[in-house]
Order: sequence, then C-alpha cells, then structure tokens
Amino acid sequence: MRKEIPILITLVIGLIFLLSPITTGNIPGTEWSLRKLVADALSPWTIVIAAFALGLASANLVRIHGNIISRKRTGWVYSTILVVTLLFFGITRTLVELDPANTEMAKFYGNFFNFLYNPLSGAMFALLAFYIASAAYRAFRLRSLEATILLVAAVIVMLGAAPVGALIWDYFPSLQTWLLRVPNLAGQRAIIIGAALGGFTTSLRILLGLERGHFGGEQ
Amino acid sequence: MNLAPGNIFGFYALLVASAVVLVVIWVAKKGSFVPTLRRITGLDAMEEAVGRATEMGRPVHFSPGIADIAGEFAPQTFAAMEVLSFLTGLSAKYDSELIVSIRMPTVFPVAEDVVKQGYLAAGKADKFKESCVRFLSSEQFAYIAGVLGIMHREKVAANIMVGGFWAESLLMAEGGAHVGAIQIAGTANMLQIPFFVAACDYTLIGEEIYAGGAYLSQDRIKLGSIASQDYLKLALMAMLFVGAVLMTLDNPWLRNVIVR
Repeated sequence: MRKEIPILITLVIGLIFLLSPITTGNIPGTEWSLRKLVADALSPWTIVIAAFALGLASANLVRIHGNIISRKRTGWVYSTILVVTLLFFGITRTLVELDPANTEMAKFYGNFFNFLYNPLSGAMFALLAFYIASAAYRAFRLRSLEATILLVAAVIVMLGAAPVGALIWDYFPSLQTWLLRVPNLAGQRAIIIGAALGGFTTSLRILLGLERGHFGGEQ
Repeated sequence: MNLAPGNIFGFYALLVASAVVLVVIWVAKKGSFVPTLRRITGLDAMEEAVGRATEMGRPVHFSPGIADIAGEFAPQTFAAMEVLSFLTGLSAKYDSELIVSIRMPTVFPVAEDVVKQGYLAAGKADKFKESCVRFLSSEQFAYIAGVLGIMHREKVAANIMVGGFWAESLLMAEGGAHVGAIQIAGTANMLQIPFFVAACDYTLIGEEIYAGGAYLSQDRIKLGSIASQDYLKLALMAMLFVGAVLMTLDNPWLRNVIVR
C-alpha cells in the first residue's frame, strides 16, 4: 500500500491536471469545472506540499551545517554564515508576512535581498562570460573531425553576427543565417521532437505507475 | 463537459499515442518482442566514472537539475531519479561516496528516498548518510555557488548532471572541469545542450536522458516504452511528409484537422 496509494493519487490528480486546460463545462452532476477544481481545490495543496518539502529541506541544511559547525570542520565559518543568514531571512520574511502593514520591516528585508543577495547572484551569472571562453577553448581545439566542423561553424556564425564579418566577406551574414536556419534548426527540431516524445512516454509511465524509480528503484 | 476548440485533434492524438505506447509495453512485457537499445556512451561511462572516483578516493557528485517534480519539465527530473537510482547502486558496489545536490525542495525528499532505497537494495544501508543528499538553495545562483563550493572543497572525481538545466549548466560543467572531474551530463533543454557538449566528457542529448532508466536497468516495461517512441516518431515523420506535400499542393486539409 506504500506505493499503491501514491500511484492512485498520481493517476487521478494527473488526469485532472491533464484534462483541465482542454475541457469546457462542468463535471457531470456537479457545479465544478475541471479548471475550477484545479484552481480552487488542488492548487492550494501544491503550496502546502511545497511548504512541507521546504521545511524538510531546510532541516537537512541546518543539520548538515550544524554538524560542521559543532565539529569545527574545515569551512565552519562559512557554515555559520549560511545558518545565520538562513535564520535571518526566514525570521524577517515571517515578520513581514505576519504584519504586512509594517512597511519598515518590509523595507529592511527588501534592502538585504536587493543589495546583498541580488549582487551576489549577478556576480555568479557574470561568471558565465569567463566560463564560455574557457569551454569554447576546449571545445574548439582541433582534436577530431566533429571539433573541426564545430570550430568552422562557430567562426562563420561569429563573423556573420559581428559587423566586421561583412567587411571581411559580404557573404558571412547570409552564410550565418543559412547555418542557423537550415542545418541548425533541422537538428534542433529533431532533438525537440525526440525529447518531447521521451517526456510524453515518461509521463505516461509515471501516471500509470509503471515508472517507480522515484520510489527507490523497485519495479 | 466538452473538449475545448483547438484541442480536439490533440486529445485524440494523445489517446492514440498512449495506446501505441501501452501496446508496445504489453508486447515487450510478454517477451514476444524485447527491444534492444543502441549503445549510449554517456550511460556506459557511468561505471567508469564511479570506478575512477573510488580509485582516487574522492566523491561522485550528482545533480538532478533545477526542475521541479511538477509541470512540463518534471519528466526530466524523474529521468534524473532513474539515473540516480542506478548511480546509488554503483556507488554501493564500488564503495565510493555519493553527493547529491538539490535545488528544488520538492525534489529533496524524493532524491533522499531514492538514495536510501538504493543503498538498502544493495545491502549497504549503513552507507547512507544524511550528507549524501544535500539541499543547497531554492535560488538558482545560490544553488550554483553551493555546487561549485562542493566541487572545490570535496574535490569531486566525477560530476554527473542529468535533468532540467538552464543558465547554470555551463557554470556547473566548467566548475567540474576545473577540478578535473570526469563529467557526464544530459538534458532535454535544447539551449543548454551545446554547453554540455563543449564542457563535458560525455553528453546525453535530449531523449537519451529518458532512455537512461531503461538502458541501465534493461527493464522490459521501460524498454517497451522507449521502442514505442520510435513508432511514434515514424508516425510523426509520415505526418510531416504528408503535411509538407499537401501544403505544397495548396491543400490545407491536414492543417485544418490538426487545428480543430
């Protein structure tokens, strides 16, 4: 029963979510449409489940880093900062939610989020620029025929997109457009169709309980 | 209750496609037709990656991506759980340490259960530690910072990433490359595949991530569903061909049927 009940719930709820956007009218014998059922009765449950999951996940975070702090393992200072920050953001946000009229508290919370978290997040994103360069260097090394094709195509696309490309050779922009719209798009569509079918059959297996890997691997 | 306009063809196509999948699964389960899958080097390399980690005495890192277990990207997360289940078995077999980093809180209990059950099934329940599955942050870039921290601090020998990835794909793949980890990555998110191809040793492209569970377990039900995808692909190719011919002949019949 540990697996049968979750599978039954998955099937019923999955079918409701699947049919709700493509049907109109009420469920026979009721005054509820599937859309209303999803919006008013089921969606709130997803919030409750997500909240419980967040609680479990946060407890895991605190336990792991609490262990590092208590044993003074390498990097325990960073673990302390993490736990203190988690508690700080958790408590201040709770105070904001409990008293929405308290704009000072909302501003205090917002300042920390906007001026501490956002710049750090932006810095992480900015790392991409450097990582693209180092990844491109490795990928474009002439090690094989595929790498050579990749290098040639990339150079044409870069020159086609940069103003200097057209100055070097008039045909670079049109060659770039052809590369992107014909071979590249054809490959992309093939991958998207394959991935969509893969997603569909996986979803069907999950709905019907044929896929049980997420229960711990038992079939 | 009726079907909304514009969804009629889609609904019946869904029914037919589901029937095709179920019939092929049924036939495969009976054993009268057991599909074989072509070699997928990325999946074959997992054993090599875990073995290498054991030899080096360093951990294996796994990320199931940043997609949730609900919504359109959920199948990628479930495909990642299949791979994680297999990876846990390998980790138990080779006695290597496994670290699973999680972004979505809803994925955390599922991943924890998969790892716990995986060790239990391998008869090594004592190998499961609370630090095996680590929730880092539900914020995308805070999660990446956490993953990069784990890679550098714990000097991971293998970095396996299968699931839904977005802007973090290259950051994680390059982070793994910088610590010298053998890297296997896979996603169905089209725009991130080139980053994985450029930065990783092996890449699972699109549908290959969904084949992971079938390929690694050789389970007939899963093999059947993978084979059914090929039949559906053939049907789609036929439809594309007929549609292209009809539209070239200025006959919109098929298009009108599809948009109903």
